[in-house]
Amino acid sequence: MQAFTRETTMPPASVPNATPRRRRQRSPQRRAIRFGLLFISPWIIGFLLFFAYPFFATIYYGFTNFNGVGAAHWIGFGNYVSLFHDPLFKTSLFNTFYYTAIELPLSTVAALSLALLLNMNVKGRAVYRTIFYIPSIVPLVAGCMIFVWLFNPATGIVNDLLTDVHLPSPDWFFSVAWSKPSFILLGLWGLGQPMVIYLAGLQGVPKEMYEAAALDGAGPWQRLRSITLPMISPVIFFNIILQLVLCISYFTQVQVIEANDIGGPGTSTWFYVQYLYEQAFVYLKLGYSSAMAFFLFVISALIMVVLFRSSARWVYYANE
Amino acid sequence: MNDSGGIHDAWKRRIRSKFAVVLAGVTLLGVVSVGAAGAGSAGATSSSRVNKHQAVVNLTWWTMWSGTTLTLLNKMVTAFNATHPGIHVTETNIPSDATTSTAKLLSTIAAGDPPDVFTEWWPEIGSFAADGDLVNMNQFLTGTYAGFEAYEYPVAVQAGTYQGGLYAVPMSLNSWALYYNKSLLTEFGIKHLPKTLAQLDADQAKMWTFSGKKIVTMGFYPDTDGNGFQFYTTFFGATNCITAAGKYDFASCPGAVAEMKWIASFDKYPYAQVMALQTALGEVAGGQTDIWTNGKSGFELSGPWVGAQNVPTSNPDLEGHFGVIAFPGIVGGPSTLGQGNFNIIPKGSAHPAEAFEFISWLAGYNNESFVGSIDPLGGWVPAGPSVTKTAPYQKWLKANSWLSGFLPEMTSKYTQAPVLTPTQAQLFTAENTATADVLQKIMTPMQALNYIDTQANASS
Repeated sequence: MQAFTRETTMPPASVPNATPRRRRQRSPQRRAIRFGLLFISPWIIGFLLFFAYPFFATIYYGFTNFNGVGAAHWIGFGNYVSLFHDPLFKTSLFNTFYYTAIELPLSTVAALSLALLLNMNVKGRAVYRTIFYIPSIVPLVAGCMIFVWLFNPATGIVNDLLTDVHLPSPDWFFSVAWSKPSFILLGLWGLGQPMVIYLAGLQGVPKEMYEAAALDGAGPWQRLRSITLPMISPVIFFNIILQLVLCISYFTQVQVIEANDIGGPGTSTWFYVQYLYEQAFVYLKLGYSSAMAFFLFVISALIMVVLFRSSARWVYYANE
Repeated sequence: MNDSGGIHDAWKRRIRSKFAVVLAGVTLLGVVSVGAAGAGSAGATSSSRVNKHQAVVNLTWWTMWSGTTLTLLNKMVTAFNATHPGIHVTETNIPSDATTSTAKLLSTIAAGDPPDVFTEWWPEIGSFAADGDLVNMNQFLTGTYAGFEAYEYPVAVQAGTYQGGLYAVPMSLNSWALYYNKSLLTEFGIKHLPKTLAQLDADQAKMWTFSGKKIVTMGFYPDTDGNGFQFYTTFFGATNCITAAGKYDFASCPGAVAEMKWIASFDKYPYAQVMALQTALGEVAGGQTDIWTNGKSGFELSGPWVGAQNVPTSNPDLEGHFGVIAFPGIVGGPSTLGQGNFNIIPKGSAHPAEAFEFISWLAGYNNESFVGSIDPLGGWVPAGPSVTKTAPYQKWLKANSWLSGFLPEMTSKYTQAPVLTPTQAQLFTAENTATADVLQKIMTPMQALNYIDTQANASS
């Protein structure tokens, strides 16, 4: 039976090259795939090692009391239960959302407004563009140090100027009431990056549309509302996503400026990622901080889902 | 025929390509073999070198300092290597703060390749010891080292002991006392140095002056120079408010309540302005400086490094115009907080016995004279009292009379070091937050103490 089967499944004698031909047909494809994989293998390996593995490891460690050395002991949802009994966790979450809720719309409006102004045909436009972009290329830590100098209530020039014009001089980073607004102000200082992206978007809007609208009697406000904003809505959406991620993961500025009083004054500048960092690397509660990280991921993912769902209503893609 | 010729050609090509692969493989193998042979001979050379100095043990020592202190450490390493032919120490400076260096240390322990000795600033030691990350040094306290603990100040032993095991040994200690600015005291008509807390409060209150909102001069503030609740605990007998069950309980501790109420009495001064001034003079200016060193404050609680390093560097005009006295606490005698620069042996150290030999040498054990010449340069209090009796240290004391304000407290029965616990880092952070919050009237003293207890007892 076996011999019969073998005989019947053998290729007919008249087509001896059937198998090699098939191979020849497949091999370029295979070779291309093999080469393709080979070329992108650094990225694949990097992705698996530095993104995929840490991501899944974080989820796992979130269910343990891992301290960085030795075995991680499984504690189920213990870390997540502790999170909701930790007042500083709630404070850091609140502070982060407070910052995001104010900084995100403010920086979006400010950057877009600046881009609109710099898109106008005025004399010295290139100089203005450079001036507004310069803060973005100042290293973050250096920018923070400059702000501490300028806004220092004891020695800073900002309060001197305010006093000179008989305005109240706040305690800025050193006051519970003013610390978060000070960080928001710092964020606005560095909006050159989104401004440039908006500017690029604005320059992509066809001039004919404005001309046609002007002929139809549309004023500047109507042109902005009905042409500019819809046409650059994908750019606005992109910038919002980018800024949102930066706001949620706010860390460096607080770590630098409040180095002497981490989270202070009071608990007014405990931001989520900073508190996560403190738990992981000061208290060595890596399990707890992993739970915090995963919780942040879930929240961020939910916000992103809402944003992407809503984008169908207000983001206009010309090619759709 | 054509077909067979085609097959033949295909085979030829295949054989040729396989031959090329084999040839390449053989060549590669050859290269690797030559390399391996080279490495082998290099290994042989290296091993013959090791054989020549078979007794030499290489130790690695990680520290976090830079600048003047690093120079001193290098001097110590050079001296050790010169006097210990069997051990060679290599010092590696990790330019980082306590947090990142701790992370780096843990990474090396996890990877199984830690340094032999690591200098740690104290808050993490309890946590490391509890997690089994450190070598218990009790095993080395025999023979030559049987008298080691007796050599150290009692507070040094206490500060490095966790549940009966010696896990950390300071190479030098910090002692805290009250600096005063003679010129400012004279300017504000203060003729006698404060001997009680009430006198200090009254004297310092006279020295606050403002220009608009800005501070011109100030008397004393309990949260400058990074100080906070933890640094005053010893003056109020509140260093170790721990229950029998091992839980922090500052809220029920009379000394802690008195201390926090005393701190709260400073809430009438502008916290933001003090911190802003501190930041402007200190961190942002990039120097080891503070309000007192800049001649703007009458009093400050700090350690000998301020007089030994900060004043000569940042404000030489102050030299000869300041003094130091014991902080006037309420416990009935002079006291100070036991704290220092601790050396630990991480788990997995390749040479723990030699590491301990090095650590004890750094602490001045059977090495008093050398350490007696180094400690003054760093502005350090030695780990053992016998070092203070050496000629170089005595010479330093005579040249700087203000230093005598730091030593008597070291042997005082009121001096305490915090008991090492796994949550000491949480405790210190909570104490700092509570101090700042009380001074800003965000928390009442009792709320602050309860906050400290909650945070310090939290475990996960």
